[in-house]
Amino acid sequence: MSSTFARRSRPAALLALLGALAALSGGCGAGAGKAPDGTRLTVTQDFGSRAQRQFEAPKVSGSETVMRLLQRNAKVTTRFGGGFVQSIDGSAGGRRAGRPLDWFFYVNGIESSQGAAAVRLHPGDRIWWDRHDWGAAMRVPAVVGSFPEPFLHGSGGRRLPVRIECADPAAAACDAVFKAMNALDIPAAKGGLGTAQVEDSLRVVVGPWVAARDDHALRQLEAGPARSGVYARPSADGRRIVALDARGRPVRTLGAGTGLIAATRAGDEPPVWAVTGTDDAGVAAAARSLTERALGRRFAVAVSGGRPVALPEDPAS
Amino acid sequence: MRFRRRASPLHAARASAGGAYCAALAACALALQHPLLLGAVIVAVTGAGIAAGARDELATAAKFSLPLGLLVALVNPLVVRDGLTVFFRLGEIPPFGQVDLTVEALVYGLVLGARVVAVALCCALFVAAVDPDETLRLFRRVSFRSALTAALAVRLMPVLARDSRRMADAAACRPDSGRGSAPGRVAVLRAVATSALDRAVDVAATLEVRGYGARTAVRPAAEPWSRHDVAFAASAVVLVALAAGAAVAGIGTFAAYPALRAPVGPGEAGLAVLIVAVALAPFADRRGIER
Repeated sequence: MSSTFARRSRPAALLALLGALAALSGGCGAGAGKAPDGTRLTVTQDFGSRAQRQFEAPKVSGSETVMRLLQRNAKVTTRFGGGFVQSIDGSAGGRRAGRPLDWFFYVNGIESSQGAAAVRLHPGDRIWWDRHDWGAAMRVPAVVGSFPEPFLHGSGGRRLPVRIECADPAAAACDAVFKAMNALDIPAAKGGLGTAQVEDSLRVVVGPWVAARDDHALRQLEAGPARSGVYARPSADGRRIVALDARGRPVRTLGAGTGLIAATRAGDEPPVWAVTGTDDAGVAAAARSLTERALGRRFAVAVSGGRPVALPEDPAS
Repeated sequence: MRFRRRASPLHAARASAGGAYCAALAACALALQHPLLLGAVIVAVTGAGIAAGARDELATAAKFSLPLGLLVALVNPLVVRDGLTVFFRLGEIPPFGQVDLTVEALVYGLVLGARVVAVALCCALFVAAVDPDETLRLFRRVSFRSALTAALAVRLMPVLARDSRRMADAAACRPDSGRGSAPGRVAVLRAVATSALDRAVDVAATLEVRGYGARTAVRPAAEPWSRHDVAFAASAVVLVALAAGAAVAGIGTFAAYPALRAPVGPGEAGLAVLIVAVALAPFADRRGIER
């Protein structure tokens, strides 16, 4: 009798144990849980050039996903079983003038590899939805427009160590970037190029392009937006930076004194930011533009004549 | 569950009218998503079943369809990630990631489950109250051989069931019966299957002798439509018109995702009352129900 009871109660005990483990592992429980605070939601069109909606304090609930946050704050239609956004407030993906157009989202400036319904929202996350032409670049793996993210809150709710890698650690530009980070309460380490010991870190490479191109992730910029997701193509000698339009066509070639702030990724590695330029003057100009005001809602920024220029560049502007 | 002739207006109606009536109720269940209207359809078909004396058949159908409906209602929140109101977090479940159960997915699951129950009840009403022979006769014009095969199958199933009961009783009387055991059941199944083949040969020979293969059956004279035929046919037409009209007029709109939206106004309330009234109206006239 007792052995039968023991045999019968074994699966129930196992289930109870599994349930308890699941509950202890976190993320399990009744109700929605605590809502993440400090989140922001931005909805734009054409690489951030046209603002559609801006929520400094969007409606948010516990156990929120990127999709739920959007649906809670805007009128959304979805496709592919609800995992992907088809339209926001009536602006739909599809084709425009024969070019493919769709909605993409970035969490703290990083493109997600999952659908919006599968990405969890964490405190402080900045969500940016942008509808743009993806004919020239199917992927834009990272953008600078959510600065000071991803340095403040990292990725997936985990803050990553920040390392500023300078071609010349003693240069004024390197110091300016370091101070800019510190001013935003972002603890950062400073060192030379390629000296990082921590694999899972956010790197900011500061220096002229001839030096910055040694970084394997940043070198993708020379191959154009299809590879890097950045609508600017520095020349291998670092003397010129070609600003591209949304279709990946050259708009103008920028020469001496030009700076560039861009972010990209190599595979699944964390994003690498470039604060670079055609020369030291360009790098210094880029370092000065490392502000929320200059970078906000921009995929990448070229600094020409001391003025930040949004990339991809609108030929009409 | 099978057709049994009873004294009810639905039984008195011709198969085409009765079938159209049941199909119209099922169409309403499939077309209308609003919980109030779906509830009205379930009330209507339940009322029709009681008025037609098919309470037991509907109860049997409910017994089987309710667990299925409940299963649909429970599975939906597990597989659907839509909905804004999370009521339970299941945590990380590989490979799905974080699984959240939402009120919207649960409600939509309940709506789907209710729809399953409603359609099952409509089918049960059809089986219990619409003459299957007459129904098959309707299809004779479309496909004579298919209708004949279906008619024979319908006839043969109860015969085989009776055979199996008799054989099981006979087997139980034997000292080495093994009643209830697997070998005993196999013996009865084998005997019934053999008997079915024998009967099939007999039926085929009879049909051949009677000239069914020649397809020269005499068409019976068309019967005039009775008051019940007209009432159920009209009810079916009005039910379909109500469902279509509601869709056109935007009455009874229901959206589960991302947030529940099921407005209840005079339009929805009126439509619910109309569905029940139109569905049950033909049962009011009980003259001439003994057929």
